[in-house]
Amino acid sequence: MAARQKSMSSSLMGTLAASCLLVTALWVQREAAVPIVSHCSLDRANFQQPYITNRTFALAQEASLADNNTDVRLIGTKLFRGVNMTERCYMLKQVLNFILEEMLLPQSNRFKPYMQEVVPFLARLNKKLGQCHIECDNQNIQRNVQNLKDTVKKLGESGEIKVIGELNLLFMALKNECTR
Amino acid sequence: MTPKYCFLGFLTGVLLPGVVETQPAHESLKPQRVHFQSQNFHNILHWQPGRACPGNSSIYFVQYKTYGQRQWKNKEDCWGIREFSCDLTNETSDIWEPYYGRVRTTLAGVHSGWTMTQRFSPWWETKLDPPVMNITQVNGSLLVNLHAPNLPYRDQKRKNVSMEYYGLVYRVFVINNSLEKEQKVYEGAHRVVEIEALTPHTGYCIVAEMYQPTLDRRSQRSQQRCVESP
Repeated sequence: MAARQKSMSSSLMGTLAASCLLVTALWVQREAAVPIVSHCSLDRANFQQPYITNRTFALAQEASLADNNTDVRLIGTKLFRGVNMTERCYMLKQVLNFILEEMLLPQSNRFKPYMQEVVPFLARLNKKLGQCHIECDNQNIQRNVQNLKDTVKKLGESGEIKVIGELNLLFMALKNECTR
Repeated sequence: MTPKYCFLGFLTGVLLPGVVETQPAHESLKPQRVHFQSQNFHNILHWQPGRACPGNSSIYFVQYKTYGQRQWKNKEDCWGIREFSCDLTNETSDIWEPYYGRVRTTLAGVHSGWTMTQRFSPWWETKLDPPVMNITQVNGSLLVNLHAPNLPYRDQKRKNVSMEYYGLVYRVFVINNSLEKEQKVYEGAHRVVEIEALTPHTGYCIVAEMYQPTLDRRSQRSQQRCVESP
């Protein structure tokens, strides 16, 4: 359903989410709603390449030097609040997709040479998660991802820096939540 | 520098800004080069005195937090100390988390501003010491006993849990003296490694290192131990 589409306008997303809720509500009457998650996994080998791991951390560290806002964190416990373990990889896919398309690709001239190496790596992961979908979006997922997007946008340019400064955290989160 | 001079320096900073000091007094008091030094996941905050106060008369206050937290926490053991360092190993024990530390000083009742570290990720930044290694000869083979450097987290019952937790392995190399060749004979978390099938009456030197496979990082090498096979 909703997740099968790669990108959608938010209004369409809302409609789908609402109908999804309705389906869930009907379903809950019969049994506890178990989200159906498929193809949401990455091979552990993706995260065992020392070169790209080091580059990702080096990039994050360099960007974090320019991030003076130590109170606000995008990839942290708040992002996972109310989201089941089984749905976390799916949520991170949304985050990865957003970060890649709206933050990293426009910024790819900065933080050379790390960005040129890390962005294609993340793009590959994003592609591998292309088939990752979930039968019904949990409301918490949508809310948490939206919060992240809103925070980044509200911070403006320093939000973009913050995103890059947290790519190591995104890397570790994908490793923890998407590999079995 | 004595406290008096330190204080004078501070006053000059207050009274004659622009003449002696271009920066405000608080700035010149602030501790400098505040940074973490991490060795074997023991994470120690270090700093240097402020420019106006280079002596050892100042007292320092330390705070820390995880990146993303709003509140700074006081480090009680380092609250009003004269040292230039503070052990934050316990406070930064989740090695995959990013942390900050900060330090300020006080002089004549006036607090300096805080000087903060860069974002600190223990897992990524720690430096490893080599393992300590002992060799015993048993029949035709060598037994290599390995001891990891002192890591903060140790399971009392199963000693290599800490190795797994930190994602560390040992690596053992054999150097054949006559061939001047080096060969890796072991990579893993076991504390006892047996090296078999040695050519008789040949000199061997064994050396070991700590290794982080996911980062491809190694410690310096242990001391070499040389034996002659029977």
